[in-house]
Amino acid sequence: MIVFDNVTKRFPGSQEALSNASFSIEQGEMVYVTGHSGAGKSTLLKLVAAIERPTNGTVLINNQNVSKLRESALPYIRRKFGLVFQDHKLLYDRNCYHNVALPLAINGITGADAGKRIRAALDKVGLLNKEKSMPITLSGGEQQRLAIARAVVSRPSILIADEPTGNLDKNYADDILTLFSAFQQVGVTVIIATHDALGTANEHKVLHLDHGQLMSPQVVG
Amino acid sequence: MNIWLTQHSQALRLVISRLRASLFGNLFIALTIAVSLALPVIMYLVLTSFSGLVGSVKNDSHMSLFLAADATLTMVDSIHNTLATHSAIKQFKFNSKEEALKQLANDSQNEYIIQTLDENPLPDAFFIEPGALESTAINQLKSDLSQLDGVETVQIDDAWLKRLNYLLALGENALWVLAILLGFALFAVIGNTIRMQILTQQEEIEVSQLIGATHSFIRRPFLYSGAIYGLAGALLALIMTSCVILLFNLSIASLAAEYQTDFSLRLPDFNTLTVTCLSAILIGLISAYIAVSKSLFNSIN
Repeated sequence: MIVFDNVTKRFPGSQEALSNASFSIEQGEMVYVTGHSGAGKSTLLKLVAAIERPTNGTVLINNQNVSKLRESALPYIRRKFGLVFQDHKLLYDRNCYHNVALPLAINGITGADAGKRIRAALDKVGLLNKEKSMPITLSGGEQQRLAIARAVVSRPSILIADEPTGNLDKNYADDILTLFSAFQQVGVTVIIATHDALGTANEHKVLHLDHGQLMSPQVVG
Repeated sequence: MNIWLTQHSQALRLVISRLRASLFGNLFIALTIAVSLALPVIMYLVLTSFSGLVGSVKNDSHMSLFLAADATLTMVDSIHNTLATHSAIKQFKFNSKEEALKQLANDSQNEYIIQTLDENPLPDAFFIEPGALESTAINQLKSDLSQLDGVETVQIDDAWLKRLNYLLALGENALWVLAILLGFALFAVIGNTIRMQILTQQEEIEVSQLIGATHSFIRRPFLYSGAIYGLAGALLALIMTSCVILLFNLSIASLAAEYQTDFSLRLPDFNTLTVTCLSAILIGLISAYIAVSKSLFNSIN
């Protein structure tokens, strides 16, 4: 469902962030994108999520060529993904409930239906009792979980997380990873970028990047 | 249709809650807009009131043709014929010296004066309503008529009318200049306000774009803000204008009484209300659109 064919991404004024990457990801897979920082992990994720377009090569998402799509069609592609950003990107001017409400509002879902979904998402990450709290009052791990709740509330088929365990201690990190496994088990494709080796019992694919070069994908598990 | 309605009501509710959150500040912004709008509206109303006055005077305007005291009946007849065939004359009326004296005698105050007169000092007269009102046509008619046999004087009482017309034309130009300049001021005020709102919501806009918000989804609330500022400003401006005009009319009433007219300045009518509100909303929408388009989509792609 996600196919990269010889994808190269070059940002103006810098060398190639990703060179000739080819791989494919099937529905329901768990994928780790690994490599040291600056290896091109974030770039790869942005290309998957249709936030960036490739300089060369083709990116197919559900058989749609991202480079060929009109600018105005990109938002609709992006809605297929649940994104967990490296820096959370939570909105600190509103409470947890309204943070999670944002993707639904973008999809035009409001009212009681939205309320049910928001509480379900908060419940899934264990923050139902913090519904009215402001994000700034949450711990690092809780903020990360809130970001995940926001990513899954619109029930995306693909979940993308950039360094979701980056600043967390081991216990929190394990919690988060268990959460991602749970989503994968109900059929969601999960793509996680990480700079440190992660232990997980489930079978998963590893895309290892080194200075923008993709090593051949291997399946571990 | 349903989705469209949901999206719009969602944006509108968001905007109203944001506006309510800083009601006092927004009221001041609306007041600034109102002052910029009220000045041209007041000027427009004053001008139209005066041109209404001029219009009513114009319809009564006429030329007076006084005959020489020794004009004979045949002369009167030939003048009558000339006037009847002249193309620049709409209609005319003959007023003989006997009639004129009778009219004068009707006023009891003049009775004594008339009794002391030995003979009728009044001339025969024609009162003419010209067809055209342009000064060149009128001057041509005047010179034509003054050459006729037996005509003593031709009199036009429109010098003051002309001056007033020139002043009104000047005022109309000034109104346009003022309206355009203040229109720019309005653009700046609303545009800057929207830009400030965009800055405070930069993070939300960025995240929304990343997770699939369309451009119109992001633009919509700001367009509503712009339109609401415009509308609120226009309504406040009309209230201000009405207060100012009512205040002016208090002092004008006594002045008009001296001139035995019931002249007063016009209050804003339905058309003024519609035009003011629509143009303010339009300026609000356009300046918001420009502000959003300029400050937005540089974070991604």
